[in-house]
Amino acid sequence: MGEPLVSLTGLTKWFEIGGGMFRRPLHVRAVDDVSLVIQRGETLALVGESGSGKTTLGRTILRLLEPTDGEIQFAGKIVTHLKDKDLKWLRRKAQMIPQDPYSSLNPTYPVNKALEEPLVIHGLGNRQERWERILTALDSVHLTPPEFFAHKYPHMLSGGQRQRVVVARAMILDPEFIVADEPVSMLDASVKVSILRILKEIQENLGVGFLHITHDLATAHHFAERIGIMYAGKLVEMGPHESLLTEPLHPYTQALIEAIPDPDPENRFRERPALPGEPPSLVNPPAGCRFHPRCPIAREGLCDVEEPLLRELRPGHFVACHLAE
Amino acid sequence: MAILELEHLNFHYRTLRGAVRAVDDISFEVEKGHTLAIVGESGCGKTSTAAAILRLLPKNVARYDGIVRLDGKNVMELSDEEFRKTVRWQGISMVFQGAMNALNPTARVGKQVAEPLQIHFDAEKEEAMARASESLRSVGLPEYVERSYPHELSGGMKQRVVIAMALILRPGLVILDEPTSALDVMTQTNIINLLKRLKKEEELSYIFITHDLALASELADEVGIMYAGQIREIGPSEYVYPSPKHPYTKALLKSVPILRSSESPISIPGVPPDLIESPFACRFHPRCSVSFEECGWSAQEFADILERLRASGEDGGVRWGEAEVEDDLTLVLKPEDGMDPVTYRKALEEAFHEQEESTRAFKAVTKVEVRDGGVAVTLHEATTPYMIGEAHRAACLLLRKGGEKDG
Ligand SMILES: Nc1ncnc2c1ncn2[C@@H]1O[C@H](COP(=O)(O)OP(=O)(O)OP(=O)(O)O)[C@@H](O)[C@H]1O
Ligand SMILES: Nc1ncnc2c1ncn2[C@@H]1O[C@H](COP(=O)(O)OP(=O)(O)OP(=O)(O)O)[C@@H](O)[C@H]1O
Ligand code: SF4
Ligand SMILES: [Mg+2]
Ligand SMILES: [Mg+2]
Repeated sequence: MGEPLVSLTGLTKWFEIGGGMFRRPLHVRAVDDVSLVIQRGETLALVGESGSGKTTLGRTILRLLEPTDGEIQFAGKIVTHLKDKDLKWLRRKAQMIPQDPYSSLNPTYPVNKALEEPLVIHGLGNRQERWERILTALDSVHLTPPEFFAHKYPHMLSGGQRQRVVVARAMILDPEFIVADEPVSMLDASVKVSILRILKEIQENLGVGFLHITHDLATAHHFAERIGIMYAGKLVEMGPHESLLTEPLHPYTQALIEAIPDPDPENRFRERPALPGEPPSLVNPPAGCRFHPRCPIAREGLCDVEEPLLRELRPGHFVACHLAE
Repeated sequence: MAILELEHLNFHYRTLRGAVRAVDDISFEVEKGHTLAIVGESGCGKTSTAAAILRLLPKNVARYDGIVRLDGKNVMELSDEEFRKTVRWQGISMVFQGAMNALNPTARVGKQVAEPLQIHFDAEKEEAMARASESLRSVGLPEYVERSYPHELSGGMKQRVVIAMALILRPGLVILDEPTSALDVMTQTNIINLLKRLKKEEELSYIFITHDLALASELADEVGIMYAGQIREIGPSEYVYPSPKHPYTKALLKSVPILRSSESPISIPGVPPDLIESPFACRFHPRCSVSFEECGWSAQEFADILERLRASGEDGGVRWGEAEVEDDLTLVLKPEDGMDPVTYRKALEEAFHEQEESTRAFKAVTKVEVRDGGVAVTLHEATTPYMIGEAHRAACLLLRKGGEKDG
């Protein structure tokens, strides 16, 4: 498979909060000791509930947040503490599609200016070459004819078209890696899938690697090769999408799958199994397995004491649970 | 028996660009103890339909009429005062979209739940508080919640509070507007389970508004699919889910990524239309994969076709004369050589029928009638769903023609 595009070892990001002159600061352990790899031309979906650390992980990999601990390798290079010129290289090679398509475009910029900006920042091409790259990027997200869309302002575009401009902007520097943070969660059902297809095309045709952040397991199933499940700042399970869905190994993943309905008129006749309680505080996470207070099979003296590590129980399928086998 | 019946309900907003036809000639029923889910994409008019039922009108109303029958009685005839006293809260209550984030941050939860009783129904404070506490208990909240402030509660608990508020006067019908869309999967499941339990135990009826077809099936006995201000298909869940009839419903069901299926979702081309200048006839036709030509004709376009055929001598021997466009969907034809209108009408009808094969636009004709010495031709307007099975209706011209295509 060759050298991985992205490789994380023990990546950790804590946020410091509430420190004062005489008070010791507290730490939000948003991402704790995450290790994973992403190959070129592959999509890894990162699924988890609100606050589980998905965005923080994505932003830390791109070095938009300073890692607290651990190592990030990108295209064979250690980028954990890159600075200045070298960091600019990373900024070019790795892009983010942010969580909110509505606030991520400047309303006073027409599309061509929004797309030209990164090219200018990185000093790429002359006017003519930049214009051609803009047209190619618009074409790749199916905003055709590109000349027509190049002169539109964001308010003249539908939500789906706006999101495609955001994708085109992420594509303009020919990146090798893209973190797409909930790229379709604000869009209507009928429009959603067309954006996801475009991302898939980019992945397959251009060999771009994707980290696709979502809370929607069904979308992950259809648009990613592998799925990682996050719970309270930890990666608790990761594997090929088929294997993860048909044979989830972690009790949290199992509960998550149970909780998601398919469109089926029979659903209304029965209650759906659901976990009790709420995700824990990240300032004071539970000892041992962070899931143990809600886990239906937790074993006292083990799960509340010892932290489970990721183990490969099936080919390429990892789980962090003491009792999974 | 129906607890709620809507007949030809219209609710339009006035704006600088023109009227927004958010609720456009909507008719449906909700059976007692049943849940009707209204499913549709953002901006199609779901919340507006709820507002029209509860007579929650903004200042810029352009049109508000039709029949809303609650327990057999047309409540549109009530004065605002009577409506507030007898319908709102007691007859029909609502869990508003985003309401859990609109709780008053400075008031304790118990007090907030009790408040409407005191304000709208002159209840004594003590009785109101007792009722509030009973209602909070019925949605599974522990006692301490009464004394808590909203920010001390989780999202799921706040949503339970909002549901408790809607239930406090024991209404027969509760409108739930996206009651779980801001919540996490697991919390969503807990709330849906609660709603299922309340439905069974309290014999509640719901109108469940959502954009999520899978979630709708968690509660829906009947499901109504809304598009651009209109109900396009409605019927028992048992029919609509496994065998949707309207092309939009079919396309929507295929566009949803399904967890337990390996079939790839397929997107619908284009975007939902503007509610001010919606497409003619069937509003879905520009995006429809099986639309016949007749699905989207305006009277002007039809008149142009008549003119073209006449000019090239393809009018089948009937001189259909000069067409005058009356409105979007109606045109009037005058006989040219003093032919009597009744004979003229008959000739036209036959000629149109013959043309159907070669020029599909003719299939859009729904009515040909004598009027003012001429003949008025009305094109398909696709607002009224056709009956296609027991309690199952869909508004697609293909269904009226009996020529359903698969797609
Ligand atoms: N700048 C910050 N300072 C302090 N805490 C933060 C900061 N950013 C995020 N957090 C906390 O870190 C945790 C993880 O947040 P993150 O945004 O990564 O979650 P997420 O999985 O992306 O959630 P969502 O699905 O809601 O987007 C949360 O508890 C959040 O409150
Ligand atoms: N007060 C108003 N004045 C003018 N237009 C309005 C007003 N309220 C709503 N609209 C418009 O009416 C249409 C229907 O809005 P409505 O809120 O009913 O949609 P919805 O189906 O509930 O959408 P969502 O799923 O986003 O909540 C939209 O085009 C909206 O912009
Ligand atoms: S380690 Fe223990 S508590 Fe954690 S998921 Fe496994 S069984 Fe449950
Ligand atoms: Mg996030
Ligand atoms: Mg709404």
